[in-house]
Amino acid sequence: MRKSWRIALAAALGISISAGAARAATDIDLYFPVPVQGKLVIEIRQLIGDFNKSHPDIHVTAVYTGSYDDTNLKTAAAIKAGRPPAAVIMSANFVRSYDINHEAISLDPLIEKEGMTPQSFMAEFWPALADNAVIDGHVYGVPFQNSTPLLYYSVDAFKAAGLDPNQPPVTWQDLVTDAKKLTVANKRYGFEMPGTYDYLGWIVSGLAMSNGGQYFNHGYGGEVYYDQPSTLGALMLLNEMVNKLHVMPPGVTDANAVASAFFTGHAAMMVLSTGALTFIRDNMKAPFKVAFMPYNIQPAAPIGGASLIIPAGNSPARVAAAWTLIQWLVSPDIAGRWSRFTGYFSPRIAAYDLPAMKAYLAKYPNAKVALDQLKYAVPWFDTFETVAVREAMENQVQAILSGRTTPEAAVKAAQATADTLMKPYVDKTALNIPQ
Amino acid sequence: MNPRHGHGRELRLLAMLALAAAALMWAMPFAWMLVASLRPESASASDIASLIPSGTVGLGNFTEAWSEGTFPLWYFNTFLMCGGILAMQCITVTAAGYAFARLSFPGRSVLFYLFLLQLMLVPPILIVPNLTTIVSLGLYDRLPGVMAPYFASAFGTFLMRQTFRSIPRDYEDAAMLDGASLSQLIWHVLLPLARPGLAAFAIVSVSYHWNEFLWPLIALSSPANQVLTVGLASFTTGAESASEWGVIAAGTLLVAAPLILVFVVFQRRIVSSFVFTGIK
Repeated sequence: MRKSWRIALAAALGISISAGAARAATDIDLYFPVPVQGKLVIEIRQLIGDFNKSHPDIHVTAVYTGSYDDTNLKTAAAIKAGRPPAAVIMSANFVRSYDINHEAISLDPLIEKEGMTPQSFMAEFWPALADNAVIDGHVYGVPFQNSTPLLYYSVDAFKAAGLDPNQPPVTWQDLVTDAKKLTVANKRYGFEMPGTYDYLGWIVSGLAMSNGGQYFNHGYGGEVYYDQPSTLGALMLLNEMVNKLHVMPPGVTDANAVASAFFTGHAAMMVLSTGALTFIRDNMKAPFKVAFMPYNIQPAAPIGGASLIIPAGNSPARVAAAWTLIQWLVSPDIAGRWSRFTGYFSPRIAAYDLPAMKAYLAKYPNAKVALDQLKYAVPWFDTFETVAVREAMENQVQAILSGRTTPEAAVKAAQATADTLMKPYVDKTALNIPQ
Repeated sequence: MNPRHGHGRELRLLAMLALAAAALMWAMPFAWMLVASLRPESASASDIASLIPSGTVGLGNFTEAWSEGTFPLWYFNTFLMCGGILAMQCITVTAAGYAFARLSFPGRSVLFYLFLLQLMLVPPILIVPNLTTIVSLGLYDRLPGVMAPYFASAFGTFLMRQTFRSIPRDYEDAAMLDGASLSQLIWHVLLPLARPGLAAFAIVSVSYHWNEFLWPLIALSSPANQVLTVGLASFTTGAESASEWGVIAAGTLLVAAPLILVFVVFQRRIVSSFVFTGIK
């Protein structure tokens, strides 16, 4: 009897000691949005579990935070309320706002502590990613999962329309010609793309940039080029396809509906993120291929996806732990594993030198198209008040898709709204002239 | 037979048909959800929009949804959250409703209109101030922190005030004559008479908080404190891709099941409460 008491006591002591040891580890939290689909929640928890096992001095809790926009909202609210998370997987184009509002820390000191310079650190990642990660010369974001828009097309639909499935449309002219041939009234649309917030702005920026434009000032958060021929032409293309040629469905279609239409043969071509590649591959029964975004003046594909940031207001111990986590997440091995699981391309160049990645690309050549398109990659839309300025254009494009406005009126209205939104920042910066 | 009477019959039939059509339209999404949830491999099914079950039928979507989430925990937390909010609200809205209905004090109507003004505020404006408050109260990432901002309810106060005012004063006078104290009066006389109003408020409150997404997402972080809506979103929404409709439908049914069950069981009482208070 007495002996069993002693064992119980020893066991209890042991538990309390190990609990004490666990408490000595730095507790940090990682906010993560679910960018693609549900199984990723399980995968990311496994990933964090692996990290916690191999780093006994750090304990990370992975916190699901909704969509990219929800994650932004929760992070900003948590920072303002004095409970900043240690690290966030943040939509890459929101990073600039965090710098402007002094709500994220520059990672330069942490990088330098590793014996690297910000330049040598960023050289580990694809060059196109730097624009959304390095703000005003300082590193604020570490690219984690990245994407570009891709043209997905159905092999069967191409064959049925008498088109060669190995010759996807390259230019806007090809796109329109093929879409007309692929459209079967009441049965199949030649082309579909998501028209909902975030996705729409991203694709429209891609269209404007493949029409020779810049869409926004990459170096300064107070300028957008909405009321310019390059953007106007992009909206005219959509207007033509929806309202005149009827090769694209009218109204606002969300990404789910677009993919479902593609799966069921109701859409012959669609634009979706490279991040959807694995999901499409798992669910599309008929053969499909992917191609670059078609262009008018020059090929261009805007970067999408998310970067890791460290919000301001964390203790030095939490910052150090978060930095360890970030470095681990973007290490070639882990970055490659995440890329294979999701369909995002790995931002870390060295991930593609690993045997597992080489085998994956050999097995799924589609995954390589996204990577090849990187040579045409352009930065993602980011300005002061990114979301509101983006929505100024999205609201107008949605009106075009619903046949309620003209492209000419749309670009003017979007520009006026955007200028008003950015005025406080412009007044404080570019127009703030020494007197 | 009276021709007028026959005419009335036709009208009745017509009204019945119109109501049946409306009911059918209302039921359509639920019927689709049920059909879609029973259809495995739904993401690529060509007949996903169809209401007629076809192909293989199975519970695969339910087992997948159940295994991807921690439903028992989410149910528990959601029950706790909705129950906690409702319990506190019942006390506060009854007391405040009574005060505004029966007590006379200086500034009563100004205070009442100030109360109603709350209804005009868009909830997202209050996210940061509320979060700051619950952080300073030490309630961040805890269920009481999610509940706290809802402990008082402008809508509930308004509803209870109207309900109390619709009760004839004679009941109170009679109770007073028999020597009832104020608390006895509220508890034994007014509350039983106001029960339909309180029940209607309870339904509105529970279904609102059961379905709420943004505030729990903001105020809670630990997976152990997660509620149903946020949990459901965690495996069904995707920003850059498509969704598996079948799993979404199954997950949504799992989330809505307790509310649907309560509605089916208490249907008569729920309908009569709404008729009594005039809420739609």
